[in-house]
Amino acid sequence: MAKTLIVAEIQNGRLRESTLELVALARGKGDDVCSLVIGNGIGGVADELAAKGGGKVLVADDAALENYTLDAYADVTLRAVDAEKPELILFSNTPTGWDVAPKVAAALDAGIVTDVIRIESDTFVRRLFNAKFDAHFTVQGSPVVATVQPGALAPHEGSEAGSTEAIDASGVSSRSKFVGINKAEGGGHDLSKAEMIVSGGRGLQKPENFDEVLKPLVEALGAQMGASRPVVDAGWLPHEYQVGSSGQIVAPKLYLAVGISGAIQHLVGMKNSNYIAAINKDPDAPIFEIADVGIVGDLFEIVPALASAIGSAKG
Amino acid sequence: MKILVCLKQVPHKDARLEVDASGTWIQDDGIKFEINDYDTYGIEEALRIKDAGEAEVVVITVGPDRTSQALRTALGMGADRAIQIWDDALASTDPLGIAKILAAVAKEESPDLIFMGLMSDDGNNAVVGPMLAHLLDMPSATGGMSAKRDGGASTVERELEGGALEVVKLPTPCLLAVQTGMNEVRYASLKGIMQAKKKPLDTKSLSDYGLDAGVVAAKVSIEKLYVPEKGDGAEILSGSADEVAQQLTGKIKELGLL
Repeated sequence: MAKTLIVAEIQNGRLRESTLELVALARGKGDDVCSLVIGNGIGGVADELAAKGGGKVLVADDAALENYTLDAYADVTLRAVDAEKPELILFSNTPTGWDVAPKVAAALDAGIVTDVIRIESDTFVRRLFNAKFDAHFTVQGSPVVATVQPGALAPHEGSEAGSTEAIDASGVSSRSKFVGINKAEGGGHDLSKAEMIVSGGRGLQKPENFDEVLKPLVEALGAQMGASRPVVDAGWLPHEYQVGSSGQIVAPKLYLAVGISGAIQHLVGMKNSNYIAAINKDPDAPIFEIADVGIVGDLFEIVPALASAIGSAKG
Repeated sequence: MKILVCLKQVPHKDARLEVDASGTWIQDDGIKFEINDYDTYGIEEALRIKDAGEAEVVVITVGPDRTSQALRTALGMGADRAIQIWDDALASTDPLGIAKILAAVAKEESPDLIFMGLMSDDGNNAVVGPMLAHLLDMPSATGGMSAKRDGGASTVERELEGGALEVVKLPTPCLLAVQTGMNEVRYASLKGIMQAKKKPLDTKSLSDYGLDAGVVAAKVSIEKLYVPEKGDGAEILSGSADEVAQQLTGKIKELGLL
């Protein structure tokens, strides 16, 4: 039986659910599963993973692992690989995963596939070109390293409880030093409680159009305005407007995406909205896959018409 | 101080992409290309250090003839010289192969800092940076939203999720794979573009670095590339702008939101 090593992730002191999604992926392909938990004072998290994921849980528990640092996390992962000799090493595709997984792959001279959404026998499936295409990858050699898109699978449930086992984490250190966490400037634009959000993307073409084209619709609805990442990157709107994995995660009753193609990082931030409507000129835009209702066409014609229709409907 | 910036030329954001005859990559004849968006922020960050004092900025890419255009653009923005590496053996390599050839170049150049984008807009792998740093035995950080130089160290804000930033301090030399939105990227000025024509752009092959095809042979390969099957998808409204506006308004009304 092939063996998969799962590198668990702890977020705010708790086991990140994406770790149990990795367990589901490995168990789904019939692999023997062992996991690695890294941190300081993490016995409780290790017990939780053993109970929920089953199999052997290696625990790298050391004061030097209190915060994530690249060298130290790569070092203990390589120690676990050396001890367990897995054929497959799985990380979540998160800011920690995409920092450390490639280093581990390079150290092992191993092939790596990132942001995987499923595995079909020996084929890794992921999206490419910002989700325009799916691709099937094969990897030669062993072990193989992969990162998996959070949320792509349901978390694993219902294993027989596994066991925990300490792994020597002494003497680890890192050349890069953890200094602290900065919370982004909150600003007054909290979208998390909005009933309706109208978000604009690169399709609006220039910053003035947020005021001139989008805002009348936002006001007609009594909604709040949001934006996609490229809009914020370009400095058209402040970061506090950004909806997505690196911005605000929202779930309003109505989410209306205007001129947003639907990059994964945006979809992650709004896919749990109750009702999603999208306006985009590209019929193949990924946003239409998750929208309830879509309009393919020129937003500069449709948005003013919609603002006016909503104004009339409200009377 | 010497700064190396690794960049990739990728299909233009607005290019219409189709799968090629092999069914494993896109048809790239006749489409427009541009510098990978993530990489432009790395170029800008390097040029800001150059503007603030003494630094040589060397831009480097692995790619066929057409990619010299991307290097010329970076030279036009203000980089000092460029290196383009190509060899037919590189057409089928994988990100680890790219990291190995970049490592060979970096060993020869011996930079104090290496900048590149977190990922490319075509392959979306986000692995070459940390791999390259590992091969060079250099510390690295991904997802940089800011980088301050202080004495011999770089203090970097790495983007996490939900707007949080992790602050990391790295000694020199180090590699930073940066996020979009890190800075405001300059355009190449007309004067810059004229000057760029005279700046050195070296074309190199694997053998120039003592490497052969075996070193960059791919472990990872794409078997199939295709447009994903649509799920249930959205109900698409049709009609004139006024008609679809009326229909959508009706649906929002049904939700009890008007």
